[in-house]
Amino acid sequence: MLAVDSVDVFYGEFRALEQVTIRVERQQTVIVVGPNGAGKSTLLRGICGLLKAREGTVHFRDQRIDTLPAHTVAELGIALVPEGGRVFPYLSVEDNLKIGSYIKRARKHAQESFNTIYELFPILAQRRRQMAGSLSGGERQMLAIARSLMSKPDLILLDEPSLGLAPLVVDLVFEFIKKMKEEGYAILLVEQNANKALQVADYAYLLESGKLVFEGNREQFDRNPYIKTAYLGL
Amino acid sequence: MVEQITMAFINGILLGGVLALLAFGLNLIFGVVKIIHMAYGQFVMLGFYLIYSFHATMGVPLPAAMALGVLSMAILGIFTQLLLIRPLLKAPRLNQLLALASLIIVVENVAMMIWGADYRGIPLALPIIQVGEVFIRSSYLMAFVGAIVVLGLLYVFLNRTYLGLAIRAVAQDLEMAQGMGINPATVYYVTLAAGGALTGIVAAFFVPIYTVHPHFGSSFTIMAFVIVVLGGMGNLLGGFISAFIIGVATSITAVVYSTEVADILALVVFVLVMLIRPQGLLGVRA
Repeated sequence: MLAVDSVDVFYGEFRALEQVTIRVERQQTVIVVGPNGAGKSTLLRGICGLLKAREGTVHFRDQRIDTLPAHTVAELGIALVPEGGRVFPYLSVEDNLKIGSYIKRARKHAQESFNTIYELFPILAQRRRQMAGSLSGGERQMLAIARSLMSKPDLILLDEPSLGLAPLVVDLVFEFIKKMKEEGYAILLVEQNANKALQVADYAYLLESGKLVFEGNREQFDRNPYIKTAYLGL
Repeated sequence: MVEQITMAFINGILLGGVLALLAFGLNLIFGVVKIIHMAYGQFVMLGFYLIYSFHATMGVPLPAAMALGVLSMAILGIFTQLLLIRPLLKAPRLNQLLALASLIIVVENVAMMIWGADYRGIPLALPIIQVGEVFIRSSYLMAFVGAIVVLGLLYVFLNRTYLGLAIRAVAQDLEMAQGMGINPATVYYVTLAAGGALTGIVAAFFVPIYTVHPHFGSSFTIMAFVIVVLGGMGNLLGGFISAFIIGVATSITAVVYSTEVADILALVVFVLVMLIRPQGLLGVRA
């Protein structure tokens, strides 16, 4: 469904991603783990068109997307849940959700999406009139996830959803990711919290200093001695 | 004296409504495109002249001439975006400011070429309303009511429609807005068209009040800019409130002292805000 092939992304002269190749298939949850600054967010931004790859290609459902502007990529059904629950702070919770259904394919389902979302996230229903900027970190993360669901996406890109959240809230966020997985969404999740992320992963990549250094399924990650000590704390 | 000040207060409120509308356009453009439209008052002047020409020269009935003026200014707003702002979107701030400031000279001299330096106006005999000892010009009252209605419509547009939401989203976080599938180019054109239409609308409200000349716009550019800065740049509510503060303050000063002092007062307020609270009344410190 998503094919990233030998992608290089530069910030000026700094090569943030080097020959990165990953695949996400339909209904699959793929994770990319790695330390801070490895290029995980860069990868997601490259996929959704906010950054341009200097080398390599990105295809989504056999259509080349690395040449398209970000808003067109969003229209094709790729939704980004940005780092740190980046929502529109001066829009109400409800307006944040509504803007999630901005693209044409989502607009006509906006009303039923609202109902589903408010059922799934009762806290957002309670706070619908509140400015999103006044929410707690966890609530903002929920809102960012809910906003992505409003766009009826085929692929959801999640950028460090556990970052800066209390352990209990992290558990809650991963409960939702599990739910989304069960609903059949294709998910690409980048996380520093490898333990948590591996629990939901069908397939995983390890990214270090812009390069993929290991890939495999959960068992292969669990068995790898380097990953065990460096990332899983075992 | 008490009646005079009461009258000045009322006039200040009425004028404040129109100033709020004027500042709204400047504020919206700044909030969304992050550019200061230095020639905003000059666009009001141009709108005024266009309405004048449509009506007095071409014989179009006044309401239709006003509508044509608003439409022309909206189109001019789109061309400003296309030819001037878009090529400079990634340019340094100073270059953007200089380009927009040079637009002042262009617009004023074009007006001078086409319409000359004479004062032009459309004479209208509108009644004066008397309430007790207080006299209110109906032209002011109409302008006020009209401005509030337009502001109300803008509020509904920005809060209830997808396009309005998209404009607010781009103003808050351009990158995330793109991630939502919003095409910023569309939003920029709509914003400049709306901003342009607002200059036309303000011009239409000014037709029964003022006469126009090529330098008519400069005081309004300054006034709008002072209001926007006082309210906090990009803060639409702050701009709305400070329009009334500036309107009342200048109006009362004009009665108590003179109109010249009133003009100075606006700039003194501007300097004081810059010194004491540069983020404006309701602005958030960056």
